[in-house]
Amino acid sequence: MSDDIILALRKATKLYAGVPAIENVDFELRRGEIHALVGENGAGKSTLTKVMAGVVALTSGKMEVDGVEATPRTPLEARHLGIAMVFQENSLVPTMTVAQNLFLGQEKFYNRLRGIYIAAQQFLQSLNFDVTPTATVGLLGAAKKQMVEIARAVLHEAKVIIFDEPTATLTPEEKKYFFDLVRDLKRRGVSIVFISHALEEALILADRITVLRDGKHVVTDDAAKFDRARIVQAMVGRDLSNTLYGLRKNSVRPAGARVLTVQNLKMAPMVKNNSLSVFAGQITGVFGLVGAGRTETFKIVAGVLKRDFFHGGEVILHGKSVRYRVPAPAVRAGIAYVTEDRKVEGFFETMSVARNIYLGLLAKLPGGRFFLSSREAEKVGKTWVERLKVRATGNDIKVVELSGGNQQKVVIAKSLVQEPDLIIFDEPTRGVDVGAIVEIHELIQRLADEGKAVVMISSYLPEIMALSDRILVSRQGKVVEEFSALDATEEKIMYAAVH
Amino acid sequence: MIAALKTFTDRLLGRGDATITVPSFDGALKPNQILEKAEIVAQFDAPEDLATDGKALYIADGATLRRLDGTATAEVRRFDRPISALCCMPDGGIAVALDGREVQVFATPAAPSPTVTFSDASMLAINALAPGPGKTLVATDGSSARPYRQWVHDLMERGRTGRVLVLDLESRSIRTLASGLAYAFGVCAGGNDLFVSESWRHRVVALGADGSQRTVLEHLPVYPSRLSPAPSGGFWLTAFTARTQLVEFVLRENAYRRRMMAEIDPEYWIAPKLTSGQSFLEPMQGAHIKTMGVVKPWAPPRSYGLVIRLDADGVPLYALHSRVDGVNHGVVSAVEMDGALFAIAKGPGRLLRVRLAGIEQELRA
Repeated sequence: MSDDIILALRKATKLYAGVPAIENVDFELRRGEIHALVGENGAGKSTLTKVMAGVVALTSGKMEVDGVEATPRTPLEARHLGIAMVFQENSLVPTMTVAQNLFLGQEKFYNRLRGIYIAAQQFLQSLNFDVTPTATVGLLGAAKKQMVEIARAVLHEAKVIIFDEPTATLTPEEKKYFFDLVRDLKRRGVSIVFISHALEEALILADRITVLRDGKHVVTDDAAKFDRARIVQAMVGRDLSNTLYGLRKNSVRPAGARVLTVQNLKMAPMVKNNSLSVFAGQITGVFGLVGAGRTETFKIVAGVLKRDFFHGGEVILHGKSVRYRVPAPAVRAGIAYVTEDRKVEGFFETMSVARNIYLGLLAKLPGGRFFLSSREAEKVGKTWVERLKVRATGNDIKVVELSGGNQQKVVIAKSLVQEPDLIIFDEPTRGVDVGAIVEIHELIQRLADEGKAVVMISSYLPEIMALSDRILVSRQGKVVEEFSALDATEEKIMYAAVH
Repeated sequence: MIAALKTFTDRLLGRGDATITVPSFDGALKPNQILEKAEIVAQFDAPEDLATDGKALYIADGATLRRLDGTATAEVRRFDRPISALCCMPDGGIAVALDGREVQVFATPAAPSPTVTFSDASMLAINALAPGPGKTLVATDGSSARPYRQWVHDLMERGRTGRVLVLDLESRSIRTLASGLAYAFGVCAGGNDLFVSESWRHRVVALGADGSQRTVLEHLPVYPSRLSPAPSGGFWLTAFTARTQLVEFVLRENAYRRRMMAEIDPEYWIAPKLTSGQSFLEPMQGAHIKTMGVVKPWAPPRSYGLVIRLDADGVPLYALHSRVDGVNHGVVSAVEMDGALFAIAKGPGRLLRVRLAGIEQELRA
């Protein structure tokens, strides 16, 4: 191993419940370099960096620090090896001051607060960071919080600092300041790894860029040898010929009546002035990377989340402006939202399949019912179990006992029993077996053929391309591009999704 | 009392009528770069309007009337004032509006003197002409308060003084068909009605012979302008710029707007423009428009280029765009001739040509 390499991963593999998040990944970080990690959602960027930072352990493969094999099992062990990670959701204690956060975990038996503040002040000044050590962290802006995180990493004499989407919450001015800061760290000999969906940032800031795809290493090269198109190509260049998604669409359904219009919708910080329309008789695919605000937008439409109180924008359903504070009136207005997190939001896992589906029907009824009919619940449950081919040994079986695919069908049945006009599927095939994926896809297609307005949010590009009639690309809280399924390519979509 | 309270809370919270939102470009208005990539046929100093008799294309360029012959343009005649509207008559004649105040009708484009002249003191901003039923000519007078060149003043004053005039060529009389329009800018006969675009209300209305109004197309994300017939049925509707939330906000803030109009050079008002990106003094710059130094096509537009294809009922079929990162902005006129769409991008002063073969199938897919 070259002396030049400060950190390396060899044949690194991490399995979650048998599913590889990263597989045989080789990664080398040079001394004093800025190394960008790029890839779409689920490419394995976060897992790779979490391995480096001791947040998760490798299933197989090895990690070397300064040429010596090292397996940090906790972030503290990683810190002792000189590796620190700055998370997207920062790990500071909001109720403590900047100085207290800086020295957290390094407290002495007797701590003189004034001494901590003076030490923090001197240290922050040495880094040229304009942060007041006595300020409460919770009251700081995103950029200053990030400065504190970085200062903490430098204070711990980190030789490697890992940033997870460091600029996602920064304003353009703050970004510029952050770039100067990273370059300054580089001059001090610190090696930087940063995950970014902002390709221009990677191209400008990084010395080298590594592209990951589906948990595998695709390419590592000097940033100067990349351009935006080459990165995008590396991010999406899958061979789908032998998969479920091998066939391209050769026709799309024409748009029917405009069912939903969202205008300048805002919900800080995730949804930023988002505008889009959804038409009857079509599948509108919504693609975006993490933080694109897709789920939040449609949760606002469905009354699960609330838009901003002041100037939150407009949701227009069938030409009429609506504002749902809870889901029930949205359900009654014909909106069904099939959640991406079925275990938390989708069903009551200890209740039977039939009762779960029946609950969906009850939600549609104004005022609910005082008496509930077990017979009706059984009947409704049986109908939908047959219609959606839920493989359950009986209607009394609890949802928790079903496979992921069948659980998802129950969640879908719970929504379809409400006979909605607008159905929003959020990651409909996440954690679902292949057989169930095919059935769910057929169901989604059938709903559009029946004239329903269907929205399908998905992070998996081939799924978006295989099912959608029109594709909306969301980025940083708003829809930025629309494609017809006929002229969309993975490269075009990804090009619009990264920023 | 309750209504007043509701108005107050709506204004405070930005809800109801006070919701400052702008429709998005989607569905039939899905963005593309067709107009931006269109062939540049010619460059002019002050192009304003187009007209065709089916054989030749006439271009109003400042005070000069030009004709397109193949790829070259030839001067047909010159006037003493700029031409603000142009149309070809079914009998081979041509009508021009001069500086928005006078309409002259010529028997042929090269005829030495006009056969009819309409010069009413109330005419101030005649911006579009179209043949009307019988021996009439229909004109839109954008504003009774501001001349044509001061359209942005009219917008900022929330002008509602637009009119549709019927000019009778035989009796030489002028009849007001509709008034109180929020900047009438474009007219075209459609069936028994006249389709009129009302820019500041972002809509197209159909006017009956008795002046009755019916909204054909509304909630447009742009300020619509001139209309022209499509030979295969339906219309072409141009939009000289797009709406933004910032401008919509400014239009609600009366005191701010008055002060801006009084103190700031109109060039730098927070208002729509026919071209942008020319000066660092312009409003709406920085992160609104650029990320990492690259102008983003989906940024809020200060200027924009758009032509919308409408069917005979005024339903949009598809649209041709020049987006925020483009230059073919300020599209004020478009006519179809010989299987191509000719459009004037007033911002850069260009005459553009888009070959229509295949475009409809591609964009309507």
